[in-house]
Amino acid sequence: MISRCLKRWAVPLAWLVLLLALATGGEWLEPLLRWSEPEARRVLYPQADLLTLLLRHLQVVAIASSLAVVIGVGAAILVTRPAGRDFLPLVAQVASMGQTFPPVAVLALAVPVLGFGTWPIIVALLLYGLLPIVRNTLAGLEGLDPGVEEAARGMGMGAAQRLWQVELPLAAPVILAGIRTSVTVNIATAALGATVGASNLGAPIIAGIVNGNTAYILQGALLIGLLALTVDSFFARLLSGRQ
Amino acid sequence: MIELKSVTKRFGSETAVDAISLTVNRGELCALVGTSGCGKSTTLRMINRLIEHDGGEIHIDGRPIREFDGRVLRRRIGYAIQSTGLFPHWSVARNIGLVPRLLKWPAARVNERVEELMALLGLPIEQFADKYPAQLSGGQAQRVGVARALAADPDILLMDEPFGALDPITREGLQVELHDLQARLQKTIVFVTHDMDEALALADRLVVMKAGRIVQQGSPLELLRAPADDFVASLLGGDDRGLKEAAITPVVERMRPLSPRLLPQARVAREATLHQALAVMFRERVERLAVVDDDDMPVGEISLRGIVGVARAEGRDR
Ligand SMILES: Nc1ncnc2c1ncn2[C@@H]1O[C@H](COP(=O)(O)OP(=O)(O)OP(=O)(O)O)[C@@H](O)[C@H]1O
Ligand SMILES: [Mg+2]
Repeated sequence: MISRCLKRWAVPLAWLVLLLALATGGEWLEPLLRWSEPEARRVLYPQADLLTLLLRHLQVVAIASSLAVVIGVGAAILVTRPAGRDFLPLVAQVASMGQTFPPVAVLALAVPVLGFGTWPIIVALLLYGLLPIVRNTLAGLEGLDPGVEEAARGMGMGAAQRLWQVELPLAAPVILAGIRTSVTVNIATAALGATVGASNLGAPIIAGIVNGNTAYILQGALLIGLLALTVDSFFARLLSGRQ
Repeated sequence: MIELKSVTKRFGSETAVDAISLTVNRGELCALVGTSGCGKSTTLRMINRLIEHDGGEIHIDGRPIREFDGRVLRRRIGYAIQSTGLFPHWSVARNIGLVPRLLKWPAARVNERVEELMALLGLPIEQFADKYPAQLSGGQAQRVGVARALAADPDILLMDEPFGALDPITREGLQVELHDLQARLQKTIVFVTHDMDEALALADRLVVMKAGRIVQQGSPLELLRAPADDFVASLLGGDDRGLKEAAITPVVERMRPLSPRLLPQARVAREATLHQALAVMFRERVERLAVVDDDDMPVGEISLRGIVGVARAEGRDR
């Protein structure tokens, strides 16, 4: 049982181990990094910081994505109810605008209001991550078999019973796929937060750019990439496990 | 008892159902037939308020259906549709138990009922209870759909082409089952079908619809013998109408006592229809058949002249 479970989750776990190895003791990377930056005084970003930065990065993405899920799924549910149907085009439009609006611009606009730090990037990620969630939730709820909906109503299920027992469970794979896209993209985008003072995995990259140290940039980029891969493969397992 | 009094339904500018009046008494099976798009499903859905009617009145057991809460009404009325609408993420057993659970039956009673219905519809429990709808054949899924409609033992059943995807043998088996059920339990059933033989075999009252209106209603024999117009006549089978009449007339109605003549070798069961008797005559190249009971004992005889001649004479008398 345990071994089967381990086997199922082997790929995401492998990525996780690699990620933690890099974040906690990347000395083994030093030759590679040294090769990319032979002149620099240091090529290893202070390791103690990396783990903290990784956790902060995750935290920001988790907060932004949780908000995006609650708002996005909630909005999509509301506009697919008879009472909210009039707002369906509006919500679909706002969500797609959220994605066309560049996160950098959101950051620039948010800083004067929210100040430097973590909040501007959370707002930017929230807006940026809404579209895939709203779009997929709408697609999932609208794409249900009309026969199933007719039967659910015809058997005398109420609106809430239909939503929780039929519509959401059946739309779940599509909704989860949207959340997966949103989270993965946001892990990469969150690095931008470092430009407005949020401390996360964008920090080594910014430090690398400022000091002209390619090795720092590489470490930041590698960690972000690995984090995205780890989370994405967890989602992949979750989704395929449901089928 | 279901009463429709000049019930109308419009979708935008189109009138889907146009002032139809219809009474289905308790214990009666009413079959709605007609070409595609004539408003059969719409009529059915208005009865359980999946669609609200725009004009006229619908009464169930003397009370206007608008007085009921929609959900309460629908839990009281069994509903089976051609596409089955089974929930793909629920097992067969859970699907069947849906309405009893909505009615808050105790779990043990729900399980008992589910097992009873699976047995009734020929779905062995060990084999099917834990299967998911995607693992069923079309016919099995339809049987599960019918079982779900029957689950809470409703007085009224609405069935929209419920046997559409079944092979003729299973279909006939289910038709017999439905007929018995209705005779035994006095269910009131409104049944939509495109299969005229099914409609003729099952219906107490046959309702022919065309473009949202009722063209003719009555017993199958009445309609077969006196179709109101060419549309009804052709819908009922055109020249085949005679054979269809034979198909719903039992052999016993034309049977004569055993004569002193030599008993014919070819035989037909007492429960058979005239249509089946004719088929045996045609196949065996004979004009007389022995009518036998369940134990294969002759109880009478039937002749080709008897079938044709007597059928005519009696048809006029009625
Ligand atoms: N929800 C709806 N919105 C608009 N028009 C509808 C709707 N439901 C049915 N109609 C129209 O009402 C008419 C009757 O439809 P209905 O489904 O009752 O036909 P039917 O007799 O059941 O046909 P079939 O034998 O093909 O099932 C059709 O012209 C159809 O286009
Ligand atoms: Mg129909």
